[in-house]
Amino acid sequence: MAVPARAQRLELNVGPVLRSLVLGVGFVVGAVALLVLLGLVLTQTETAFSWSGYAQQIVSGLSQGAIFASLALALVLIYRTTDVLNFAQGEMATFTTFIAWSLMHHVSYWPAFALTLVIAFIGGAAIERIIIRPVEHRPEIVIVIVTIGLLIALNGLSGWIWNPEVKAFDSPFPNGTTEIAGVVISYQDLGVLGVCLATVLLLWAFFRFTTLGLVMRAVANSQDASRLLGVRVGWMLALGWGLAAVLGAVAGMMAAPSQFLDPNLMLVILIYSFAAAVLGGIDSPIGAVAGGLILGVLINILGTYVDFIGGELRLPAALVVLLIVLLIRPQGLFGHKVVRRV
Amino acid sequence: MRRYLSVAVGPLLFVAAAAVVALLPRFMGEFRLLEFTLVAIYVIALLGLNILTGYSGQISLGHGAFVGVGAYVAALLSLGRPGLELYMLDPPSWIPIGNGMTPVFTIPIAALVTGVIGFLIGIPALRLGGVSLALATLALAVSFPILMKRFSEVTGGGGGLNLNLPETPFGWDISTRHWLYYEAWVTAGILFLAAWLLVRGRIGRAWRAIRDGEVAATSSGVNPALYKTFAFGVSSAYAGAAGALFAIETAYVNPDTFPVSLSILLLASAVIGGLGSLAGALFGALLYEFLPIYSQEPPIFSFHFADQAPSVVFGVFLIVIMLLLPGGVAGLLRTLAGAVRTGRFRRRSETSELA
Amino acid sequence: MKRVLLVTLVLGAALTVALPGAFARTEATQATPGITSKSIKIGGTFPYSGPVSSYSPIPEGMKTYFRFVNARKGPDGKRGIYGRKIDFKTYDDAYNPGQTVQLTNKLVLEDKVFAVVGSLGTEQNLAIRPLLNQRKVPQVLVSTGASYWGTQYKQFPWTSGWQTDYIAEGRMYARWILANAARQKIAIFYQNDDYGKDYLNGIKQGLGSKTNLIVSELSYEVTDTSYASQIARQRATSADTWILVTTAGTPTVRALATAKRLGWKPDQIIINSVAATDGVMAAAVASVGQDYVNGAVSTGYLKNNTNPKYKNDPAIRSYRRIMSKYAPPGGVNIRNSFYYYGVAKAYDFVKLMYAAGKNPTRSSLMAATAKMNWVNPYALAGVKIKTSKADRFPIDQGKVVRYNNGSWSEISALYKGR
Repeated sequence: MAVPARAQRLELNVGPVLRSLVLGVGFVVGAVALLVLLGLVLTQTETAFSWSGYAQQIVSGLSQGAIFASLALALVLIYRTTDVLNFAQGEMATFTTFIAWSLMHHVSYWPAFALTLVIAFIGGAAIERIIIRPVEHRPEIVIVIVTIGLLIALNGLSGWIWNPEVKAFDSPFPNGTTEIAGVVISYQDLGVLGVCLATVLLLWAFFRFTTLGLVMRAVANSQDASRLLGVRVGWMLALGWGLAAVLGAVAGMMAAPSQFLDPNLMLVILIYSFAAAVLGGIDSPIGAVAGGLILGVLINILGTYVDFIGGELRLPAALVVLLIVLLIRPQGLFGHKVVRRV
Repeated sequence: MRRYLSVAVGPLLFVAAAAVVALLPRFMGEFRLLEFTLVAIYVIALLGLNILTGYSGQISLGHGAFVGVGAYVAALLSLGRPGLELYMLDPPSWIPIGNGMTPVFTIPIAALVTGVIGFLIGIPALRLGGVSLALATLALAVSFPILMKRFSEVTGGGGGLNLNLPETPFGWDISTRHWLYYEAWVTAGILFLAAWLLVRGRIGRAWRAIRDGEVAATSSGVNPALYKTFAFGVSSAYAGAAGALFAIETAYVNPDTFPVSLSILLLASAVIGGLGSLAGALFGALLYEFLPIYSQEPPIFSFHFADQAPSVVFGVFLIVIMLLLPGGVAGLLRTLAGAVRTGRFRRRSETSELA
Repeated sequence: MKRVLLVTLVLGAALTVALPGAFARTEATQATPGITSKSIKIGGTFPYSGPVSSYSPIPEGMKTYFRFVNARKGPDGKRGIYGRKIDFKTYDDAYNPGQTVQLTNKLVLEDKVFAVVGSLGTEQNLAIRPLLNQRKVPQVLVSTGASYWGTQYKQFPWTSGWQTDYIAEGRMYARWILANAARQKIAIFYQNDDYGKDYLNGIKQGLGSKTNLIVSELSYEVTDTSYASQIARQRATSADTWILVTTAGTPTVRALATAKRLGWKPDQIIINSVAATDGVMAAAVASVGQDYVNGAVSTGYLKNNTNPKYKNDPAIRSYRRIMSKYAPPGGVNIRNSFYYYGVAKAYDFVKLMYAAGKNPTRSSLMAATAKMNWVNPYALAGVKIKTSKADRFPIDQGKVVRYNNGSWSEISALYKGR
């Protein structure tokens, strides 16, 4: 080949980065265009349509979607590294959020936040080593049931330790709101959205640019090959669970100020997050975030502007839309096609 | 001789089990009878789930929704329009509800209706594989209670429907509790045999082929889409029958009786009982009925339990049993039986019984 | 080999957990189930786990009061009730009506309780009502404010209610609005189930010809994780009175916080079962600030145990004494008004048992529920616990209360909801 080796390496590094960038920007532009178009349609069909009301629905959908996305990221991370759908992810997040709540009675917000992440990491890795490891090579369904058992046990445990009463949870963001053209946006929502986007960028950079991330991706690709190359696969899997638990803890601490803390904090959010992750492509962090935001906005728009659906049917309706998308694009919006092997 | 014995062991066990079931009421109080009636109902539901997940290898997190459909069909049919009028409900006239019927006859109808609905849902759902299928079935479980609340002109909404209290029909001279018990177990027995015939025959072979590798199955002339959808339909029909029996026995249906957790716990019970083994349904059903109640008051450990402790016990038990028995109870028994047959204990790969 | 052994051991252990009693024979039938010369066995189902586990202090409050009754000397000079100690058996139904049916069957058939007392939840009680009535087992003082318990006593003579029903309470709000703020625009935010709809009906009945004051009624589902969509729409109607028909716990706090975040501050009306929950109000205050919640209006039929006004009230003092002495190990948060609710309810059950006579039977208990007439010291002054042949609503009075810095103060005369 005439291409010099140097250029080839560059292409290898920059290509995917560029592609992700184009994909991201394209997605945002496309989504905005679609929403504007929808708004234009609604001005014709809705008698009492107002752009500010419409924008308000989108904004609150985004802030809600950011919470789905945060937990979806954790689901995706575990799926990527260990091929497991972790049904206990939500309860792990709730549990760590309770730990943070307890810590905050003794230390101020940020030390408690950091300490919680450390505890979450250790806890997540420990769960992998102690509970998941023994069933690692068993059929997928066995692992699913183990995570369901974990879900039930952790849910009971948080109720047992911290009692089921609803608790207020501090937010790191200022309490006020700002108004832009009649649309009220709270700093809390902005903060959550920002943290969510920052997390996905960090995660993406981690997988793309660090050796550890690269090794983890290799393990996800083929455990046997990685083992042959001298990777300590077991520790990598534990690391994956630990990191996922950290992401879950972040999701919990971002959700708790607006959702409020009780043992069932994440029970319903897990379902939305699962949907978001699958919609985005279960192995794609960017997809998880996109999926979460789409789902949040979709639910609000369906609920507000389709009379038959209304507040009551918006969840089933959103799920139907989502499944139609999956029928057309089985790997999800940003997912990779799975090659079927015999 | 030994060959004959191993062929006959299945039917013999079935007959023995039937005898135990028939005689059990003599030794039981009213409440036990009720519990074992529920066991039969769960056996039916788990048989259906086992056909879908254990034999054709498709995960379902929405089995509870089909149980719910069956329950509502049975409730509407047995109440009939006159019964619904008492609730001031007036379902649209195109829904063939009738004027109320003997509850036992609603069971086959509920099974049929649920089966057809399951088949129709299965057509698109089974085009999704893996996590998407898990999501699609979970979506069913999530949506079912919401839909039942929304269409309250038929379902009675959140308040639900009280069925007529169960009675022994046809003027038979046994107590209602005994009637419900035998009604449930006879249905379970029939459906067990039907499942046995299904999985032994050509269809069962096709299912297992799909489970063990879809591409390979296709290349050997099996149409996976058709067989998978059929499995979904059959599994739903079983759920429908179970739901009908549940409605008759409980005499009450309401959306919250069929929450998401029902579907998830059914799946857990199916796996614990043992996938890919019809007997597994029985073990799963026993655990499903007794474990949650007895984790509320363990008979042996009578120390003070916190309010939330039962679910902790239950969850931990799920994990422990999965760690120790990945093939479920049925898998363990098979291992034990194998050990006895060969005269010594030997290691066997438990995973071979599973998808 | 080792594994098989281990597995067999575990399975054996599991069976020993599941099987004992599986073949227990039924005891010889007693004259009145659950009643012996030394004890009264009653039972109930409550959501100790699941979506509304925040109600779980209610049965604990009841149990605590029964422990007190079992230990003190009653008016007849004996401990318990006529020398019988109350044994209150509760199960966790996780708020699933299907579970309620199974566990109630267990209470009736296996535990052989005398009566089912205080079981929680509207659908849950609807589910067990037919079977209890068929077996003539009393279902008394149910923990739900649906109106069925008071209106359908003819079809279901073995069932009786307790608290102010939701329709009546809805009427009280309407009456208060008409008297104090007759030109307001009202937005109603309600939980989409029978509970929410009962309130909605009550409010509309109460408004009568003025239902056009309602400019918005939107609902939420228990599966909703955000109410921002609905509340943004209600805010856009510029309603100035906001009636929150939410369940105690997360939904209420979340609704208030959402409104605040949207920069909306209407006059709030918070229904009783929420307002009575100190924990919920505390969480709301912690999140949206004292100023935002101050001035909120509700109704009450029980004294507010956190109100400084009642600090030296004999009933509140007795409540505190009982809770500190007889509460379950581990301690409880006595400010949580669900314990108080449980204690108040248990008080009425004890009164009922005395009224049922020295040799109580199930029918004498039901007869007593039809002629209740006493004052419950834990209820607001003036509220009568009163039923008659034609009136089966034990509590149907209440006062409008207003929230200020941590407690609710009565601001109206006694209203009658029925």
